[in-house]
Amino acid sequence: MTHHATAGIAPQLASPRPRRKLLRSALLGGFALAAASASPATAQRAEPCIGISMEVTGPLANQGLMLRIALETALDKINAAGGVLGRPLRLVIYDDVGEPARAVDNARRIGERDNCVVMFGGARTPNAIALREPLAEMGLPWVGSISAGTGVIEHPGGRNEWMFRVSMKDRWVTEYLIQQAKARSQSGKIAFVYEGTAWGQGALPDIEAAARRNNVTLAGRETFNIGDQDMSAQMIRLRDAGVDTVVLWAVDRESANMLRSMDRIGWKPRIISAWGLTTAFARAVGPLAEGIMVAGTFNWNGPLSPAAQAAFDAMKAKFPDRIRTTADMEQPSAMANAWDAIHITVEALKIAGAYDRTRLRDAMFRVNYTGLVADYRPAFIRGNQERMDAVLPEAYKLQAFHNGMLMPIEATPFGMRN
Amino acid sequence: MEAVTQYLLTGLSVGSVYAMVGLGFYVMWTAAKAVNFNFGDIFMLGAVLTVVAIDQGIPLLPAAVLAVAAAAIAAAAIERGFVRPFNREANAIGWMLTTIAVGTMIESATTALFGSNPRGLPSPLAETPIRLGGAGIYPQELLLPVALIIVAVGLELFYRRTMLGRAMRAVAWNRTAAGLVGIDADRITLIAFGIAGVLGALAGLLIGPVVQASSTMGAVIGLKGFMVAIIAGIANARGVVIAGVLYGVAEKFIEGYLSTAARDAIGFTLMVLLLLLFPQGLFGRKEIKKV
Repeated sequence: MTHHATAGIAPQLASPRPRRKLLRSALLGGFALAAASASPATAQRAEPCIGISMEVTGPLANQGLMLRIALETALDKINAAGGVLGRPLRLVIYDDVGEPARAVDNARRIGERDNCVVMFGGARTPNAIALREPLAEMGLPWVGSISAGTGVIEHPGGRNEWMFRVSMKDRWVTEYLIQQAKARSQSGKIAFVYEGTAWGQGALPDIEAAARRNNVTLAGRETFNIGDQDMSAQMIRLRDAGVDTVVLWAVDRESANMLRSMDRIGWKPRIISAWGLTTAFARAVGPLAEGIMVAGTFNWNGPLSPAAQAAFDAMKAKFPDRIRTTADMEQPSAMANAWDAIHITVEALKIAGAYDRTRLRDAMFRVNYTGLVADYRPAFIRGNQERMDAVLPEAYKLQAFHNGMLMPIEATPFGMRN
Repeated sequence: MEAVTQYLLTGLSVGSVYAMVGLGFYVMWTAAKAVNFNFGDIFMLGAVLTVVAIDQGIPLLPAAVLAVAAAAIAAAAIERGFVRPFNREANAIGWMLTTIAVGTMIESATTALFGSNPRGLPSPLAETPIRLGGAGIYPQELLLPVALIIVAVGLELFYRRTMLGRAMRAVAWNRTAAGLVGIDADRITLIAFGIAGVLGALAGLLIGPVVQASSTMGAVIGLKGFMVAIIAGIANARGVVIAGVLYGVAEKFIEGYLSTAARDAIGFTLMVLLLLLFPQGLFGRKEIKKV
């Protein structure tokens, strides 16, 4: 590349053109040279490491821990089998404390200082969205296994080239939740309750669009602030509007406080939630969690395939203090997603044949892989950024809390199968 | 009517928490003319340490006593290590920064050791609500206004009837003069922060069974407790109690009839307006300095 650019300038230097024109040509050639050498297309040898920026401390630190358990266990297995392309893969973890600015800083470290071949993402959608430009500048492939915001993958103008996801997508999740709510609501009066964060507010237009597509008129839309300890006012309004089914978009603590508010006023609607609810929620509220349904991609408490059983056994052996039973898999879907994400990435590295980011990115579109969550054939489709999401809605599963455990819904007394 | 009853009940409960935290600020301010700005972390410790003690097999009541005692010691230690050394000079403000810093450290350490997940704090009074028509409240929440009344009356008696309380009033009135008559002002201030710690931890402990214990549970409560203390006039205990309860009830009515999302924006705007109208607070008196 460098050689061609230099050759392009040389004949101009030899011709009798005016000096200004020569200077302009030289400058243009110089810029072309600089641009070519900085282009992601020329990014070459990277290190056999996976950098990850996630919440190690902060309110969602537990999600970070669950990701770490899945990723480190999977890497142990991969490295024990000889690594990838003859070299062991390392995991480099950075704490973003849940802040987008820290996530960007960490991405720079991973891409420029550590020179890792790929970056993985943590839980928060705003952090992932903040990485869109830096990743494109560095030519660093990114794979998410939690942050489900539609905009993480679907960039304005269809410009996503580097961000892949093995997780749920909010636009598809909202459609799924509305369909499940419609199928289960007896009065047809469905409400949406969401947290007042970027994640919650970002879901509102998707929910409204999904409701329109499914001929559902939302009977209420209620929000709350993070840290709110009482939501009686919102629940009274929904109860008085005759709502019998609530689509919930929130995480453990505030959802528990919402349940308490419902309990105070003696109102128990059906609740169908996005995957912010974990087993920690059930431990905190006890019997009030019974029957609450949660969308997800995987459940460890049901019958497990041999591959899933082996994955669980390996996590249990590596983290005996943290994982004793399948009930300790507090982020069941995210852990399965992460397990699949790392294996898809390894398959892509094998196809790429080198620790080269651009070749890895291109190889991601050629991976076919049977994972825990889905049969990825193919995992991603080039030229269709909607399909830089590997997990399709067909793989979504409804689960329900029963006796304090999050179970596949067919293993509970709470209604229809998926 | 059901809605009004509900807003009054939950407002009374939440307002009692604000008032107890606000009283903590009152006790600190009157003794030291300084406060622990991250007092919400002491509130948090009351609930979190109770859960930790229960995890060790200690029954609820002794666990609660241990937790409140530990939080009070932590509050006193903050005074000794992070307020006193930075409050020597007149108009010193270093303690603002140091208390915020130590609060951040406490919250981070709690997240690391206790985990980021909220944990239930078991209480038999938080299992079944008392229903009044379509409204309801947990017996645990009714403990809060009861505890507030006991604490407020107890503080009043303490300040008026005990030697230690009188010594605290003397230090609050004139620290130098109190020293001249043999009162150890530093020791009194240390004890005052410890008493404030008891109040904050007690509030956290009592609301914990309803809202769960978590490392971040104190951030907003601490801010609102400080706010009601300022609205009331931080040197007036009765005013702090009234302002706390009124603010809690007002919040519920704002949520019910105006906007849930804008509740805090409206509440804080109200605070600014009140301070414009009453610079010394609703119940505060202008300080007169003789020169």
